[in-house]
Amino acid sequence: MRVKQMRTLILYKSHVSVRLALPYADGGVQAGFPSPAQDYLSETIDLNHELIEHPSATFYARVVGDSMIEEGIAEGDLLVVDRALEPEHGDLAVCCLNGEFTLKRLRLLDGNRVMLMPSNRRYRPIEICEGDDFRVWGVVAYTIKSNRRRRTRLW
Amino acid sequence: MVGLVDCDNFFCSCERVFRPDLARVPLVVLSNNDGCVVARSAEAKKMGVREGLPYYQLLEQFPDGKIVAFSSNYTLYGDLSARIMQILRDEAPDVIQYSIDEAFLVLDGVGEDGLKQWGERLCAKVLRYTGMPVSLGIAPSKTLAKVASRYAKKYPGYRKCCLMANETQRRKALESFPVEDVWGIGRRISASLQMQGVTTALQFASLPKDMVRKRYHVTGEQTWRELNGEDVIRLECMSDTKKKTIMTSRSFPGMLTEMADLGTHVANYAARCAVKLRRQQSVCEMVTVFIQSNHFREDLLQYDASASHTFATATATTGELVNASLRLLEKIYRQGIYYKRAGVMVSGVGSALALQPDLFEFNPAERAKQMNVCAALDSINGRMGADTVVLGAQQYRQKSADGKSVKFVNAIRRALKSPDYTTVLGSFEVC
Repeated sequence: MRVKQMRTLILYKSHVSVRLALPYADGGVQAGFPSPAQDYLSETIDLNHELIEHPSATFYARVVGDSMIEEGIAEGDLLVVDRALEPEHGDLAVCCLNGEFTLKRLRLLDGNRVMLMPSNRRYRPIEICEGDDFRVWGVVAYTIKSNRRRRTRLW
Repeated sequence: MVGLVDCDNFFCSCERVFRPDLARVPLVVLSNNDGCVVARSAEAKKMGVREGLPYYQLLEQFPDGKIVAFSSNYTLYGDLSARIMQILRDEAPDVIQYSIDEAFLVLDGVGEDGLKQWGERLCAKVLRYTGMPVSLGIAPSKTLAKVASRYAKKYPGYRKCCLMANETQRRKALESFPVEDVWGIGRRISASLQMQGVTTALQFASLPKDMVRKRYHVTGEQTWRELNGEDVIRLECMSDTKKKTIMTSRSFPGMLTEMADLGTHVANYAARCAVKLRRQQSVCEMVTVFIQSNHFREDLLQYDASASHTFATATATTGELVNASLRLLEKIYRQGIYYKRAGVMVSGVGSALALQPDLFEFNPAERAKQMNVCAALDSINGRMGADTVVLGAQQYRQKSADGKSVKFVNAIRRALKSPDYTTVLGSFEVC
């Protein structure tokens, strides 16, 4: 029980700017032969580095609700939101519509018309009208989901 | 040239980044313990909410609930501040952070052509990346840059960036700038200037230099020279100095009479001092505790007292500082007094690396253990938010309704705090 709690604590941290690479002993004075693997040691994978192009503009958000469920984005999934990205047609975006956050795909039409597209048959697309207070808060660069936590019964 | 970047209503803007529903709603941020108003949005200022207004008076004066109040969320403000500073460092040749929401940009060698457009783009970039509105003033000196930033903030026509490049612009800006609002002009100098009929920054800058030096000494002369376009204030010396004394003190929301309650607060202030010491890699030789009754209540018995303890070996551990502070409190505490304020001050602050251990009483193994505990404490509280893990002495004991069990409650009141949107995963939710 205790171990589990500790793990939750650690998982909850979200340092955007810290590089998480596997540490290795680099240099110092070593006796004996140098390791033959030393030439390859710089090759580590750093997910912070891979997934976050603009650290000062990147925020994490948690999905609530099911409006994007048909493309596999479910409640509890984690969004990597990059405010530095220019919103483009087809982007998944966190939008502000009349003071509320909403997660939708952007459909940019001729004449500066914007439609917000859900991925759920039970929801209707929203067309932005004049008088609406609308802006794109940030473009969702990645969606992170846990595959061990099964949400729907498949078989 | 020098730039000054200043965030507009910083604390309130931070709260709004994650609450688009509050974009035009008057809001305020409260001090520690939800004591009084420390930040106001433009709408709240317009409604006549003054800075420092106690929270209970705010509720009395605006009972309809139209003003939204937040407890201060320094985790959120610190994170957004760090992001803004990083963007500035990416764009400007050199950046000197001056406070949580202000930074000077050293623009030596940047041509004046296109500087205004560069500044506008910089402010737009900060807004787009972080959601935070900032204003930028660019001028030949830091004091003038501060003046320019005020204009950039006040008039939308500047598109967030005001460039004060020539003599005409300088004179025009200073002409309508109140002298008491000039950076470095304190209340005393300002009062003395008003007596002589000097009310604008331009009038002050036009006084004879010798007279300014004679009456207002080196600092006054420095400001005078800055207003005349000379960049003489050196920030490099100010920014990185470690503090020689550190004090944590607060007024209580109500009044306290019991030793145990006072102790909880004193323990928290001592712990705060310890964290501040460790953050600057320092240790202290002495700790002082003081307590005060309510000076505004002349009908009550008045009592102020303080006491100090000198450590055999300088320290920065939470355990030692809290213990010593509580022993000092026991010494000075008197029954029957209504206490309003208490504080803990540490002095004899020096570098932890130049520690001089006491020959007889110092136990290196014990100290190493204590420092390890503190490092773990700082690490957890840094990640999870301040006061996530505290000593038992820092918490109130609350008995459950049936009186059988005891609950521990953190002493610092932040009833209206927003979630740590940027640093705790899952606290920023999107439908």
